[in-house]
Amino acid sequence: MESTINIENVVASTKLAEEFDLHKIEAELEGAEYNKEKFPGLVYRVKSPRAAFLIFTSGKVVCTGAKNVDDVRTVITNMAQTLKSIGFENIDLEPEIHVQNIVASADLKTDLNLNAIALGLGLENIEYEPEQFPGLVYRIKQPKVVVLIFSSGKLVVTGGKSPEECEEGVRIVREQLENMGLL
Amino acid sequence: MEEIEKIREIERTEAEKLKERTRLKREKEKVDEFEKFTVECPECGSHTLVRDYERAELVCSDCGLVIDENFIDQGPEWRAFDHDQRMKRSRVGAPMTYTIHDKGLSTMIDWRNRDSYGKTISSKNRAQLYRLRKWQRRIRVSNATERNLAFALSELDRMASALGLSRNVRETAAVVYRKAVDKNLIRGRSIEGVAAAALYAACRQCNVPRTLDEIAEVSRVSRKEIGRTYRFVSRELALKLMPTSPIDYIPRFCSGLNLKGEVQAKGIEILRQAAEKELTSGRGPTGVAAAAIYIASILCGDRRTQREVADVAGVTEVTIRNRYKELAEELDIEIIL
Repeated sequence: MESTINIENVVASTKLAEEFDLHKIEAELEGAEYNKEKFPGLVYRVKSPRAAFLIFTSGKVVCTGAKNVDDVRTVITNMAQTLKSIGFENIDLEPEIHVQNIVASADLKTDLNLNAIALGLGLENIEYEPEQFPGLVYRIKQPKVVVLIFSSGKLVVTGGKSPEECEEGVRIVREQLENMGLL
Repeated sequence: MEEIEKIREIERTEAEKLKERTRLKREKEKVDEFEKFTVECPECGSHTLVRDYERAELVCSDCGLVIDENFIDQGPEWRAFDHDQRMKRSRVGAPMTYTIHDKGLSTMIDWRNRDSYGKTISSKNRAQLYRLRKWQRRIRVSNATERNLAFALSELDRMASALGLSRNVRETAAVVYRKAVDKNLIRGRSIEGVAAAALYAACRQCNVPRTLDEIAEVSRVSRKEIGRTYRFVSRELALKLMPTSPIDYIPRFCSGLNLKGEVQAKGIEILRQAAEKELTSGRGPTGVAAAAIYIASILCGDRRTQREVADVAGVTEVTIRNRYKELAEELDIEIIL
């Protein structure tokens, strides 16, 4: 089945160890940024696949910037290996990865009248303030995602915990717009 | 001794309040039954009911059924033939308004030291009267909530005056603010922020929208903060507000530029065509309105420069340039420079 969406960003969290000495990591790892006053976590960016890690003293790690769920797995495993090679012993090399958020884009390939859509979808689930932001914000309850609809027909789906949820969100929007005859 | 009196006083007022509450509930039930038949005709179900004050009858204008007769006229029992007489006979005071924290229902003791017959009050009682007046003034604001409400409403009043808004917009804004207080949305937010957001919402609701920039100008809070607070408040209070239409801005901007009525009408016409062709989606309404006015002013010969229109509308010249080119292209308007 052809996928209607392009995943732009995947955010995942995992636990790699019971604790981390961030100063040691900052010293050993090249390119690590750690400003204790600005942010309690250490920021480490990876080149291929491109991603960024936030490493905390609790041993928990947040990974952002990956383009798909498989890349996240690869990148986290690489990170675990790197940390082990630095000298941390109790690193979990096959950690449990929880995907927290997926941001995806889609295209309905037609111009849309956002005013009419705001009326049609119901002003309770909609936020449309053209003075502040050109896109219409549509919050769907099931699945719990937020879809930004633009007048060019492009959509941004965010808040999904899996690519399927994002696809479902897009499908719901397409269906409702077709029912209202606005597509 | 005083304390016992105070306690008795409190008990008495509590008992009265309870009685009042049960009485109101019973009345409401009675009124609900009544409502059903004063709003629609029992025979034909029509809603066009006419009150005939000459015969004291409530008649259905479709089927002619007399629904109620000998209804009580609720006006005064006196007549007055000029303004002074009316003022002398009238027993009521200022109308109730939500823009004052006590809803305009409190009273104050007049500064004139005369009793109801017109005689001056003895010097002994004058001191007592002075103290009564002082306490009466102090009781008006009883606790912290009322004090905050009074502050917020005075802030609303100040901002509304600075923007020159009419009475009904002020009342609407006061009601929105009170609802926000009831739902405890002020917690963790600045009072000025919520007041500004309430004013913004009221302007939109009364179809005289003011841009966020205009409200930010008269308020102590930033435009971003007002926008955020407004989105939060309107979501929590379920204020179903349509996005502002550019047509609502035309009269104000045109008079700000001293343009003729002809230009205004042409501008509205352009916007109506643009709305039909769906050109306004995703565009800020002020920008589109400004562009429409610019085009209309050129077409009617009463030109204004892009800079003048931009200043009045609160947008940049670039916005006007981009929007007017879009409009002119889609609507086939020839711009003669």
